[in-house]
Amino acid sequence: MKIVVLMKVVPDTETRFEIREDGTDVVYDDRIQWIISPYDEYALEEAIQTKEKLGGTVTILTLGKGKEQQVIRKALAMGADDSVLINSADLMESDALGIARIFSKELEGTGADLIFAGKVATDSNDGYVGAAVAELMGIPVITEVSDMEVSESSVVVTREASGRKEKFEVTLPAIVTIDKGINEPRYPKLPQIMKAKRKPLDEKDGANYASVAGSGNSKVKQIEVKFPPKKSGGEIFEGDDAVDKLVDALMNKEKVVQ
Amino acid sequence: MKVAVFLESYKNKITKAGLEALAAAQKISDNVTAILIGKEVTGLLSIAGSYGVKTVKKAEGDLFTAYHPNIYARAISNVEADVYVIPSTAWGKELAPLVSAKQGYGFVGDVSEVVDSTTFIRSIHGNKVLSTVKVEGNFVVAIRPGVFDLPEQGEGSPETSDISVTPEDSFNKIKLAEILAAASEKIELTEADIIVSGGRGVGGPENFNVIEDLASTLGAAVGASRAVVDAGWRPHSDQVGQTGKFVSPKLYVAAGISGAIQHLAGMSTSDVIVAVNKDPKTPIFKVADYGIVDDLFKVLPALNDAIQAARN
Repeated sequence: MKIVVLMKVVPDTETRFEIREDGTDVVYDDRIQWIISPYDEYALEEAIQTKEKLGGTVTILTLGKGKEQQVIRKALAMGADDSVLINSADLMESDALGIARIFSKELEGTGADLIFAGKVATDSNDGYVGAAVAELMGIPVITEVSDMEVSESSVVVTREASGRKEKFEVTLPAIVTIDKGINEPRYPKLPQIMKAKRKPLDEKDGANYASVAGSGNSKVKQIEVKFPPKKSGGEIFEGDDAVDKLVDALMNKEKVVQ
Repeated sequence: MKVAVFLESYKNKITKAGLEALAAAQKISDNVTAILIGKEVTGLLSIAGSYGVKTVKKAEGDLFTAYHPNIYARAISNVEADVYVIPSTAWGKELAPLVSAKQGYGFVGDVSEVVDSTTFIRSIHGNKVLSTVKVEGNFVVAIRPGVFDLPEQGEGSPETSDISVTPEDSFNKIKLAEILAAASEKIELTEADIIVSGGRGVGGPENFNVIEDLASTLGAAVGASRAVVDAGWRPHSDQVGQTGKFVSPKLYVAAGISGAIQHLAGMSTSDVIVAVNKDPKTPIFKVADYGIVDDLFKVLPALNDAIQAARN
């Protein structure tokens, strides 16, 4: 089975950001630690477990600015077989649809049976690429999968949906996007880390994809970023009647409890 | 600008997130068409009308009995529009990219504010940063649940026409095998008006009844911190925070939660935050509107009793 993981490299989720002077974006400098986007890591682990069960290969596909190699090596150490990095700072500025078009172009003709992605990238918060690539490739997709069982020709997936669970049977080739809770990603050990250094990391020039990304009739641009308004410290109730004061505040002042 | 909104419904009821998406659509344009999809949606027309909808396109019949991403996306795409507005629910998060890619329209996800008809505010970097985006051309916009007020109510019966979807062989590639309802009527966190969340201070999974009892009195959903989920005390679907769910209920009660940055990122936009924690120095009190510094096993049952007493 040929398995591909669409993987994004993002700032560590603990990062405390600063805003650029012109206010159009946050500062991305050397202080930022880059990681596999957490949901993509669950997707990668699920891909590797699928390979271990059914045989085949796992390929990592990443779009980046050229600084992603170290993080991709970690993914290879976890158990992926090879990797492709499409390198272009310009392409990273494409809107979500442009990025989906690049992935779809790159996946064309690879004969991938099962394509994994995380349910959302923790930086851009889009949750777009997995489903959009499926539509562009004309293959089925189910998003936010929290449980799955793969066979040679189909996959049965379960996901949470508005307080209930939905279970789908999907014919391969297909794309699934993965939620937390499906597995516990492994930590690569030293021998795997050493071995990963020799695994293929194919860097491709993004310039060859520019026409693919830009062929839309629409553009989405970020024009400003700011921090959410900070809450000022609230009221602390003390003493024997603390609970009564709280109930009074919630029912009569805020009117959030009836 | 022609705007079409997916008025999501389930089991013959328009969802709250669907109505909120309608409210967002009405901020984008006066010319809004509502899309209803289901086996039988005629009963929902007067409800749509009562929320100010003047035009409805409906996809009705056996083909739409069960949710299917491609069939639903096809139905939505078959309504001609410059802008599609879709609620960011489990279905909507799947449908919005499908419609965008199908139509070649731009995409703006998880919007929490409509500035004007082409400018939107959304959260990035796990709610730590607000991003304002501007769109040129046609686009699909997904609306974060729980943020927009419901549309104003009035009277009216919308003009209605049918959406036709031709069945395709490719639709057979996905089959909805089963819908598993939660054991009890579970309220989805992102769509709840009130959430009661427990953290490490609860001490163990067996103690979560103290959280559940208060939640039940309040008609609230139960949430949890990452520490509690990672320890296996609660399922991941309960997790509030950066690698869980982003919520903004009217009332958020945090019990035994210290308030790690990744948890605060998930809930600090709630209207009213109440914190109960033994440690007065814990960061949760910095975002709380009201706090009680005490043992949650004392405070929560007392709170539960006091609310019930006040109601009588």
